[in-house]
Amino acid sequence: MTPETLLMAVLLGIAVVTALLALLAREVVHTIIWIGGFFVTLSAIYFVLYAAFLGVLQLAVYAGAVTILLLFAVMVIKKRIFVREAGAGVGPVPILLALALGAVLVALAAGVPGGTAYSAYDVTALSANLFTRNGAWLLLLGLVMLSALAGSIHLAREMRGAPSPPRGGVP
Amino acid sequence: MIPFDDILAGSGILFAVGTFGVLTRRNFILLLISVEIIMNTAILNFIAFSAYAPGPSILGVTGQAVAVVLVGLAATEVAVGLAIVLALNRVRGSVDVAKAMDLKL
Repeated sequence: MTPETLLMAVLLGIAVVTALLALLAREVVHTIIWIGGFFVTLSAIYFVLYAAFLGVLQLAVYAGAVTILLLFAVMVIKKRIFVREAGAGVGPVPILLALALGAVLVALAAGVPGGTAYSAYDVTALSANLFTRNGAWLLLLGLVMLSALAGSIHLAREMRGAPSPPRGGVP
Repeated sequence: MIPFDDILAGSGILFAVGTFGVLTRRNFILLLISVEIIMNTAILNFIAFSAYAPGPSILGVTGQAVAVVLVGLAATEVAVGLAIVLALNRVRGSVDVAKAMDLKL
């Protein structure tokens, strides 16, 4: 086993463990801390896969912006942010379904032929690809972001004549 | 040399973890986080396929270009999702999705 393979195995293991801990944590703030770790681990995986620009983007957008946005949402909707969630009775069916799905995906991955990772890709090739061949998708993303901005403002504004929000006891 | 199937197997396990979260969690924020895990799995797959794609470099980075678009899309999804969380909390007083079964605010 080469050091690169070992590093990737360790990083993937950390990613799976942090994702599981994020979903199994009883306090939402702990969930957000674990998911921040998950995003940072994924960023490290992107660096190992020669996608340095994506790694930086992952750190800035996910580990930075999305994590803090989630934290702000928790701070806005809860009076006390360190509140334990009610014990979630997880039945056997979702666990079995998830295990079966994971087993099928791992079995499918085992049949994929291997190859050689190309380390020569640079951000110049990425920008050339992004702004020439796939420029239309970038424009479409801008349109989606604009409509999402309008939708978010519409959803988050206080509606006139709306019933007053129930206070206290927010789980 | 990292075996390609190792990365795909890892992302498959992560996808299963995200699916487990979607199936079991009832808190809207945790549902959003589960969907984010699934989206990140897709992005990881695109980057892995891009890293192992043969051919000229401008075509080989197509997976990374798609990943850039997906990162923006996922961040947009989180913003809209959190706006829904705020609206749900204002109207229902809770972010439990079981209390929003009629799909209206």
